[in-house]
Amino acid sequence: MELQQNHFEIFGLPVSYQVDRPALAKRYRELQQEFHPDRFAAKSEREQMLSMQYAAQINEANNTLKDPVARAAYLLKLAGVEINPEQTTADGEFLMQQMILRERLEEVRDAADPETELDELGSEAARLFKTQESAFSSALENGALDDAKNALLKLQFLAKLQRQVEELEEDLLD
Amino acid sequence: MALLQISEPGQTPEPHARKRAVGIDLGTTNSLVATVRSGSAESLPAEDGRVILPSAVRYTEAGVEVGYGARAAAGDDPYNTLISIKRFMGRGLADIKHFGDQLPYHFADPSSESAGGMPVIKTVAGEVNPVQVSAEILKALAKRGADSLGGPLDGAVITVPAYFDEAQRQATKDAAKLAGLKVLRLLNEPTAAAVAYGLDKPEGGDERDVDDKTIAVYDLGGGTFDISILRLSKGVFEVLSTGGDSALGGDDFDRAVAEWIASEAGLGTDHDAATQRKLLNTACAAKEALASETSVPVSYGNWSAELTRDKLAELLDPLIAKTLRACKRALRDADLSADEVAEVVLVGGSTRTLRVREKVREFFGRDPHADIDPDQVVAIGAAIQADVLVGNKSREDLLLLDVIPLSLGIETMGGLTEKLIHRNTTIPVAKAQEFTTFKDGQTAMAIHVVQGERELVQDCRSLARFELRGIPPMVAGAAHIRVTFQVDADGLLSVTAMEKSSGVQAEITVKPSYGLGDSDITRMLQDSYANAEEDIAARALREAQVEAERTLEAMLVALKEDGAELLDEKELDALERAMQGLRLAHNGGTAEEIRSRIDELNTLSESFAARRMDKSIKRAMQGHSLDEFDKP
Repeated sequence: MELQQNHFEIFGLPVSYQVDRPALAKRYRELQQEFHPDRFAAKSEREQMLSMQYAAQINEANNTLKDPVARAAYLLKLAGVEINPEQTTADGEFLMQQMILRERLEEVRDAADPETELDELGSEAARLFKTQESAFSSALENGALDDAKNALLKLQFLAKLQRQVEELEEDLLD
Repeated sequence: MALLQISEPGQTPEPHARKRAVGIDLGTTNSLVATVRSGSAESLPAEDGRVILPSAVRYTEAGVEVGYGARAAAGDDPYNTLISIKRFMGRGLADIKHFGDQLPYHFADPSSESAGGMPVIKTVAGEVNPVQVSAEILKALAKRGADSLGGPLDGAVITVPAYFDEAQRQATKDAAKLAGLKVLRLLNEPTAAAVAYGLDKPEGGDERDVDDKTIAVYDLGGGTFDISILRLSKGVFEVLSTGGDSALGGDDFDRAVAEWIASEAGLGTDHDAATQRKLLNTACAAKEALASETSVPVSYGNWSAELTRDKLAELLDPLIAKTLRACKRALRDADLSADEVAEVVLVGGSTRTLRVREKVREFFGRDPHADIDPDQVVAIGAAIQADVLVGNKSREDLLLLDVIPLSLGIETMGGLTEKLIHRNTTIPVAKAQEFTTFKDGQTAMAIHVVQGERELVQDCRSLARFELRGIPPMVAGAAHIRVTFQVDADGLLSVTAMEKSSGVQAEITVKPSYGLGDSDITRMLQDSYANAEEDIAARALREAQVEAERTLEAMLVALKEDGAELLDEKELDALERAMQGLRLAHNGGTAEEIRSRIDELNTLSESFAARRMDKSIKRAMQGHSLDEFDKP
């Protein structure tokens, strides 16, 4: 048994890449107040099971909408476009830029001031991420699904780069 | 005037109004039980007035002893006295090898099927596993609770370190099952501590006024370290991140001091079990004395010296530094810096060590909360939550959302892990994954579930192997098997599978890597009856009766709330007849008869339950943004 609404509808939000984060957080808490299994600890087994399934779905919806890449992929899915995990962007210029960034990342450890270098790399990745987010958002609004898909593929690249930056930061910290 | 309700002679009266619920802190070194009475939470003392029950279990030919007596005997009878058993929960024999020669126990051959991959320890009273040992501690606490509250317990909240993986949580729940406890929830220890401090309530106000606030709970117990970053917002506690080390604690402080004593006293590094225990006791006493003294005399045999606070700091700093690194990591996972933390809570007896407090204050730049006894704070928070969950108190505003502490994944080709559910994801959570067959006519497949962050399966913790059977035979790659991994609010995993094109539900057998299957639990329950005076039939009957009462009461409440609205006369009549059948079975039937009546009632009420949930959903969606939904 599943909630019938899509992720946006569950939270009463318009289907859009722009998400009202405070409204999402507030609505998420209200729904968990209602459906979390703790609310059913003294109820029948059947209700406990249903509540677990609903609470899981509410969590899944919340996680998808909170995460910029997952949200973009979900919006495309709603528009009927699914991307498979092996797919990658064909934009040669973008790929070249990525290679350069990755090389810089690999060399951070040997840099004279690794922390500053890593900070710069992190801001660069964040800036590029923002650019692709706007590209995705306007492409989706204009119904240019191929462009939106291409922007999503780039967002995936950049999200991975950001994760690697964070992991390296953590390594340097230890 | 209202009519008085009087039950027919021999019938169940309305279930007693106030439920007996306790919170249990099942600790590595010490355990406690607490309850809410007359509106306030308190730890329950033993007959001698002491609230702490040392987590020590001694097996003798005459029986089992738990607590202070057992701990005192650890030096003289190390092989039969099991301490810090929590470290072995959900672990395999190979995992605990790193505790090295310091473990005085005799381990049995782990290859035996009945061990379930767990370490099995030989005692004079026979072989025991960690789940059984923990169950003895839980039994002692449950008995204390029942004696003190005047009857069998209706439910318990048991706390676990936030860092506990699935196997460790499952082992804890299995121990509760062996001890005959109904678990309302496995609650993370730091969350319990935050609840105990009432950090949800501003002074003199109500918790709804509290806007976002970040809380760090630094929990250094005897054997585990946990750091949790929580966010509290309008009565909802959310665990933002957790970190820690499930094998670091005050015991290691004692060991560090003991090693210093041994080396200063020229004892070398290789000691027998009794010597090691005595060294540890001496070390622990010196460490505790340094909380009030600046320097204490230490002696062992003919050797004696002064241990100063500075020297202690030098011995402990590397261990404390490890905890602070984990704090940094947890803050990073939560996307916060140390100065954004509004409150710091200290939990665990080892936070009495002054050096720990100094270092924590320095790290977070603020004075930590330490007013509630750090040994009792977790049990007290658990008791408050147990009181809510059992239905005594309606705290519509208090909700505890926990996260999964380590990623869950499955083994793919080449021994690699594919992560399905990432760490710090709020639970409950479900993830579906599709698999296909490799060979023509293949009807079964095996899925290996692991937990951890590393890429190689061998570096993660093996949780269980699931075997799917009954896949309809098709050509290779044609079957699409959708496997759903569900983690419940306690952090426990269950797996279901379905072949999509045929809709055939695949049959699943679970083999936990280090734990018990259902049949093992049944066998152990029987073994424990064989050793106790308790009659297995009597206990089974009592448990069935309690379950019947619970089911009846849940149904009564549901009928009262929604019966008239959601059921037609025929349905209502059928349900009431099934309830009457259950009442009769409860009063004179066997355990089996009661169970079958419960099942009957549950089946009959399934669609009622679903309608009630639908109604809740509609209500939850209403009033807010009805106009935004155009789908049915």
